[in-house]
Amino acid sequence: MPDSFPMASFPDALRQDFPVLTRLINGHPLAFLDNAATTQKPRAVLDALTHFYETSNANIHRGVYTLSEEASELYEQARERVAQFLNAPNSRQIVFTRGTTEAINLAANSWARPRLQPGDRLLLTEMEHHSNLVPWQLVAAATGAELDYVTVTPKGHLDLDSLTGQLAKSPKLLAVTHVSNVLGTINPLRKIIATAHEHGVPVLVDAAQAVGRVAVDVQELDCDFLAFSGHKVYGPTGIGVLYAKAEHLDAMEPWQGGGGMIAKVGRDHSTWGEVPAKFEAGTPPIAEAVGLHAALDFVERPGVSKIREHERDLADLALGRLLEEPEVTVFGPPNSAERTGLVSFALDGVHPHDVAQVLDESGIAVRAGHHCAQVLHERLGVNATVRMSFGVYNTASEIHRAVDTLAEARRLFL
Amino acid sequence: MSESLYRDVLLDHMRHPRFSGKVEPADRAASAHNPLCGDELELTLALDGDRIREARTQVRGCSICVASASMMGELLQGASLSQAACYGTLFQEAMASGELPSEDLARLRPLLEVRKHKSRVKCASLAWNALEACLQAPQSST
Repeated sequence: MPDSFPMASFPDALRQDFPVLTRLINGHPLAFLDNAATTQKPRAVLDALTHFYETSNANIHRGVYTLSEEASELYEQARERVAQFLNAPNSRQIVFTRGTTEAINLAANSWARPRLQPGDRLLLTEMEHHSNLVPWQLVAAATGAELDYVTVTPKGHLDLDSLTGQLAKSPKLLAVTHVSNVLGTINPLRKIIATAHEHGVPVLVDAAQAVGRVAVDVQELDCDFLAFSGHKVYGPTGIGVLYAKAEHLDAMEPWQGGGGMIAKVGRDHSTWGEVPAKFEAGTPPIAEAVGLHAALDFVERPGVSKIREHERDLADLALGRLLEEPEVTVFGPPNSAERTGLVSFALDGVHPHDVAQVLDESGIAVRAGHHCAQVLHERLGVNATVRMSFGVYNTASEIHRAVDTLAEARRLFL
Repeated sequence: MSESLYRDVLLDHMRHPRFSGKVEPADRAASAHNPLCGDELELTLALDGDRIREARTQVRGCSICVASASMMGELLQGASLSQAACYGTLFQEAMASGELPSEDLARLRPLLEVRKHKSRVKCASLAWNALEACLQAPQSST
C-alpha cells in the first residue's frame, strides 16, 4: 500500500486532545494500537470528570440539597444522551452498569435464568468474547440449560447456515457480538436478528466493539438487548450500559439488591423501584456517567461515519502492509468493508508475546494473547495472536512503524 | 553480564531448548497453563528412587516460557527430589526479590531480567509451577 494512500484522517488538533499521546515509551513516541481493549481519553472527558468532582459531587436520588439534585440531574442527562446515541425509544430502557460484562451478567441473571429449564438451549457463537460466553455458561450450569455455538468460517464470518440450523432447535436466546474483537468482522446483525425473530428467538447483542466505531441503532437492529462499555468509546472505565426492550425490562426481577433500587423495604419482603432504577442497586458510577456523556459528545463531533471511514482506511493500510510481509498470517475477512479498524495476525515462528514486547521497545502498544476469545482461537487453530486496533488518533505513519518493526522481531527470534 | 548478554542467553535457550519433549514412561507428570495468554507446558520426570534421572518439558509458549523451561531442565537432570523442590522455592523467591541466594542457581540470572516486565513474570514461572505440581503429585497420570 503506497504512502500516498488517501486517508480520511483527522487533523493533528484532534491528537492534541489526548494528553497521554505526548508520552514517550522507551524513548519513542507512544503509538497506541490497542483501542479494542480500551481507548485513550480526550481532554473533554477528563475535564468533565474533574469538573463534576470539583463542582457537583454528591450521591444521587437521596439528598434534598442542591448538590445532590445537580448530581442526580447530570446522571439522568447522561442516560438521556446514551438513549439518543443508540436511538433507544426511551431513556428508561438504558440501565447503567459497570461495563459490558456486568450488563450481560445482568441480562443472564435477571432475564434468562428464571426462564430456563433443564434441557433448554442457549445459542452463542464461536466468535464471542468471554464476557458474552462465561455468563451463559454460569446460568446454564445453574439451570441445566445447554449451550450451542454458531460456527465461524475459515474467512472469519459467522456461518449463517449453521445459524439457521441452530435456530431450528428453538433456543431461548441468541447472544451474538456485533463486531469480533479478534477478527474485526462486522456481523450482518439486521439479517441475523430478523432470522432469529422469525424463529421466535430473542437476541442479545454484545456491542462493546461496535459503539462509536460503526452505526448502532437499536430500533433499526430490533435487538432485544444490547450491551456496551464506556471505556472503549473514549469514556471512563467503570461504566457500561444494558439497553433492553421495555417489555423485557418490565418483566425482569432485579439481580442485585441494595439501596436505590427499592420502593419499600420491610423485614421479610421488599418491593422494587421503577425501571431502570430497580437494576441499579447501590451508588452507581455517577462521575463515570458524566464522563460517558462527554465521550459521546466527543464522538459525535466528527460523527461515527467519519470515524468509521478513518478506521477503515487504517485497516486497509494495515492489511495491505501485513499481507506483503513474509511469515505473516492475517486473520479475519480480507475485505475492510466487512471489518472494523482491527487486524489480528501471527508472525510464523515468533510467539505473539515476543512480537508485542519488541514493538513495545519501540513505543508501539499492541495486544498479544487470546484476547479473551479462547473458543475462537481454538477454531483458528492458534493459541494466541497479535492484534493492532485503531482509534481516531492513530495515523498511517504509526501503522508503518508497527509493520516495519516486525523485521526486528524476525531478526531477534527467527 | 550486560542486559544484551542476558538476552542472548535467553534467545539461545529459546532457539535450542534443552530437554524438550516428553519422558515416556514418566514417573511424574504435571501441566501448567497461563490463563492470560493460553500458553501451556507439560513437565515429565523419570526417577531412580528419589533422584531425577531425566526431566523434559513440552512447551507451547513464548520465548521466555521456552527459555525458562530449558534452563530448569538443565538444573533438574540428576537432582534429588528434595533438591528440585528447593530449586523451585529459591526460583520463586528470586523472581519476587530479584536476588539469587544460591550459587547453584547462578545460571538462572538471565531470567531475573524478566522482572522488569511484570506481564512476563508469569511466562518465566510457568515451568516452575509445573515443577511444584509435579513434586506434589504422588504418581504419574501418563
